[in-house]
Amino acid sequence: MSGGYRQQPGGAGKITRKDGKRVAGKQAFPPPGSGGSNPTMAPRDLDFIPEMVGGKEAQPAGAHVHDRARTGTSVGKPTALVDSNAKVTGQAWYGDDVRLANEVIGKILRSPHHYARIKSIDTSKVEALPGVLAVATGADSPHQFGVLPVTKDEHAMAVEKVRHVGDLVASVAAVDEATAMAALNLFEVEYEVLEPVFDPKKGLEDADEPIHWRGKYHLARTNVQKRVFQEFGDRSLVEKPLASSHGKWKMAGVHHGFTEPHAVVAHWDPNGRLQLYTPQQVPHYTHRALATVLDVPMHQINVIRTFVGGGFGGKSDPFPHEMCAAILARKSGRPVRITFDREEVYWINRGRHPSHIEVKMTADEEARISGFDIDALIDGGGFASFGHVTSYYNGVLATAPYELGSFHYTGARVWTNKPASGAMRGHGAVNTRCAVEVGLDEMSEQMQVDPIDLRLANLLPPHSRTISGFRITSNGMREALEKVREGSEWDNKFRQMPLGKGLGIGCGFFISGSGLPIHWDPNRFPHATVHIQVDMDGGVTVHTGAADIGQGSTTAVAQVVSEVLALPLEMIHVRSHESDTSPVDLGSYSSRVTFMNANAAIRAALEIREQILAAAWEILGYHPNNLVLNDRRIYYKHDPAIGVSYLKALHKAQEDKGALIASGAYRSPPMGGVHKGAAAGLAPAYSFSAYVAEVDVDVETGIIKCTKVWAAHDCGKALNPLAVKGQIIGSCHMGLGQVLSEKMVYGRTGHLQNPNLLEYKIPSVHEMPHVVPIIIESCDPEGPFGAKEAGEGPLLPILPAVVNAVYDAIGIRLRDLPLTPDVVFKGIEKAMKAAGADDPLDLKSPRVTHGDLQPVLVKRAAEHKTRDQARQRSEDTSQYVNGVLFGFDPNIPLEDQVEGWRTATEPDPEQLAELGLAGKAWLKKEQRHMGGDE
Amino acid sequence: MVGTEHVEMIPVAKKEIWSAKVNGRPVEVLAPSNAILLDVLRDKVGTLGVKRGCDLGTCGCCTVMIDGTPRISCLCLAGQVEGTSIVTVEGLADGAHLAPIQSCFAEHGGSQCGFCTPGFLVTAQALLNENSAPTDQEVAQAIEGNLCRCTGYQQIVESIQAAAAIHRGEAEPAAPASNPHPDPHPSGPEEPQMPPGHAR
Repeated sequence: MSGGYRQQPGGAGKITRKDGKRVAGKQAFPPPGSGGSNPTMAPRDLDFIPEMVGGKEAQPAGAHVHDRARTGTSVGKPTALVDSNAKVTGQAWYGDDVRLANEVIGKILRSPHHYARIKSIDTSKVEALPGVLAVATGADSPHQFGVLPVTKDEHAMAVEKVRHVGDLVASVAAVDEATAMAALNLFEVEYEVLEPVFDPKKGLEDADEPIHWRGKYHLARTNVQKRVFQEFGDRSLVEKPLASSHGKWKMAGVHHGFTEPHAVVAHWDPNGRLQLYTPQQVPHYTHRALATVLDVPMHQINVIRTFVGGGFGGKSDPFPHEMCAAILARKSGRPVRITFDREEVYWINRGRHPSHIEVKMTADEEARISGFDIDALIDGGGFASFGHVTSYYNGVLATAPYELGSFHYTGARVWTNKPASGAMRGHGAVNTRCAVEVGLDEMSEQMQVDPIDLRLANLLPPHSRTISGFRITSNGMREALEKVREGSEWDNKFRQMPLGKGLGIGCGFFISGSGLPIHWDPNRFPHATVHIQVDMDGGVTVHTGAADIGQGSTTAVAQVVSEVLALPLEMIHVRSHESDTSPVDLGSYSSRVTFMNANAAIRAALEIREQILAAAWEILGYHPNNLVLNDRRIYYKHDPAIGVSYLKALHKAQEDKGALIASGAYRSPPMGGVHKGAAAGLAPAYSFSAYVAEVDVDVETGIIKCTKVWAAHDCGKALNPLAVKGQIIGSCHMGLGQVLSEKMVYGRTGHLQNPNLLEYKIPSVHEMPHVVPIIIESCDPEGPFGAKEAGEGPLLPILPAVVNAVYDAIGIRLRDLPLTPDVVFKGIEKAMKAAGADDPLDLKSPRVTHGDLQPVLVKRAAEHKTRDQARQRSEDTSQYVNGVLFGFDPNIPLEDQVEGWRTATEPDPEQLAELGLAGKAWLKKEQRHMGGDE
Repeated sequence: MVGTEHVEMIPVAKKEIWSAKVNGRPVEVLAPSNAILLDVLRDKVGTLGVKRGCDLGTCGCCTVMIDGTPRISCLCLAGQVEGTSIVTVEGLADGAHLAPIQSCFAEHGGSQCGFCTPGFLVTAQALLNENSAPTDQEVAQAIEGNLCRCTGYQQIVESIQAAAAIHRGEAEPAAPASNPHPDPHPSGPEEPQMPPGHAR
């Protein structure tokens, strides 16, 4: 605070009043705004004010629409999370920390069978047990719910059938945990065991008893929940490829592994309103589902989001245990608390889908990527959850950052009798991205070119359209690749290190908020709303429904409000826990929170700022255009001595109306194509990332140790660099777990064998490499101050980077994740056999000699760099659509100029014969099209 | 239907008075003789900052300091530590003054969702009490029993090293958490009062 413009001549020194008392300042009791003990205003922090508005912050991407709202107060500065003091003192209240007076404990009876019909449930013995206050079964909750309105297939407790071991059958509330546990043993349930399905490939076939039944939309009698077919571009380009890659991948299911087990407290208050405390990422969808299940209007439910002990997508479904708690609380008349143990956490799952992925790709004689052909069969487990979307994401999120000649995707998600898969950090994009990036590596080797140069020469530029019609705005992919190449000394190390040491590259592309909300027509409601209220004390209360799950969204919202109003962060109070007081927000999923909420918050804050500046205009006589806001003070641009304190201006503004209140909203612009599924993967902005990973592979044991990662992520603008770095490093951790050690193991009998943190191997501190986070700022034109997401995208590149690095180290392509030592060693043994070597140390690691194409690519990459820079700064406003690289005219629809250019969402009859594994789902017909067959 | 007696099938342990010093204060609670320390701390003593993550000693969220040694409270019978001095995360701060380890976790991003944070803080504090100049390797060894899913540990190690520097006297501790801005409304001298729209 020193060195600022001193506003109180003579300082705030002690003054002797007439009565002889020495007081601070001029008055005995300094009223707010009088200066008091902190009379100086902080100097304007020009380093954090964009150069376009007179500051020193460089803007290589040009001006941004929010530049004028910058005051240099908070944005761009490493900021501790605003709730971190609560967390480090143990005062943060998570689900199980909500202890209401008179609470009782709820427990859930779970299915011991994979798949069974419930013939009867006898609860009489349970009810007779002293201490039991309420018993509930499926009969108490006939309504179905689910996070997606198109696939509501869950019940609070099983109605008719149980669909996996651990599925909810009944629940009980009792005075203490011991009694509740004892009560679970007294349920008498008669099951008729049905034939379960575990293998997703089997799920494609007709079954006697499909796990769910969708009536006329059901696909024959299979267990296919969703099938997708998408084809874009000119398929003739893939003929006569110069290089091609064909990989069949098997990826195990992984779990979020958040440290806080699910917990919920439900309480019906004396007015008959439900108060539900739950650690939720998407309280709003829970709110809706509760209303449906309980048959209560939404306004009679208050969903209170507690602190969330890690989410990563695993707390983003409305959960059956939340319904159970509410039902038990209604029946018992007492607050009910249900807390999961770790095993139950794995039974509710919603982790990443176990997947079979096949990727074929080709490059033409100029090393352009002429075709991606992706087939993804994903194992959805017992329920739909987010699976409808996941089925699309496995394909469509591979359509960038590269310019493609054609794109072909078939995907299917099947129900199996396992805990349901769902959304997990990097939703749907992670597995395919890994397969695609490894394929590119393989093709670069065939073409004898550097894999980074291959990528650099095939990138889509900023402000372009992908082959599937996504609108890309800012794009920092090129810079990210260049930064990691430089940081890792790629050119001196790649394909040059000794056996066992390797370097690998991987890229990522992810949505920054989904363009369409799940639940409503985007034309009618905004995606995010933020209310701001400023009362006479000057403190700013921000109401938002954004669920902070540790990523720091509350901090981001506080920061942008602090930035716009030029107030210290301590004066901004974010209220985001209760649905009663927060405007509706869709929740923390698809990396939408910072982008959408901060945008809404900026709008609301600008409205407040306008009112305060208008008041200052009245006081000072200068038009707001000539006024500067800085640290609790408003002054004349050319003479800082002429000014007014924020508080005085605020009081002036409040003279006629009391507290200032403003509401800001964000709605994504209309985007995208018209084909079926065009909305999946649409986002107002996309993030890009590139990682280089360095690994040590012990060829004698197959143990992989990732030693260092250079991680460049384009987050548009780092509102809080501390949090962005934390997200990048944390993403590396989670992705490394998936690629090296984490796996949900289902035995031959279909049982989950490792539902605990001992056998489900989350990397500990010893497995973590040193991560060098590199923040790329491409300044998105629509992001808040230019920001995009940083929470999920950074996870994507680590998987392929590691897999590619393992190839660089030992020359073996492994496509069975996770790369546990047994998998690696099997690969080593195979390679030894092929090479006729007796000792793994005799294996050769790959080497490369650049071929004729390399200089062509380097030249093209250099040309594209110039193009991209011009487009980024909007000097070049020409259209750019995927296909220009192949010589097509962007101004004519591609269908009109290229014979064979197609956009298809259903296979042609002649294509049916050549479809991949998941594509086989297209051989079946929906019930409604089967006529009299069924 | 409200009943308090147990059915016979539940093994009922005798309830006994359990006493210990928790965060510097003597505590006496009635707990079953086979009670687990984590349950006693959360349900009886009320130190809800001690977190339950796995019940198996795998996550380290429930770590507390017992006579200065970090211990996993979910694998510890309350009876075993009767009469000891227990420090939970609530006992690290001195009133409004956060311990260096706490303010460093906040400032250096050592805490994201915060659920594992209490365990890390207690473990790290125990390390710093013994060794205020740990190497990164020593820090890693100290926290190897704690799982964190958000941070990837890197910023946790940085936080601990920053706190170690304060312990060694090489860095300044942060200001107390309460009231960082005593008066957030600075103003100038008498402000010129101009009629609205007055132009110069």
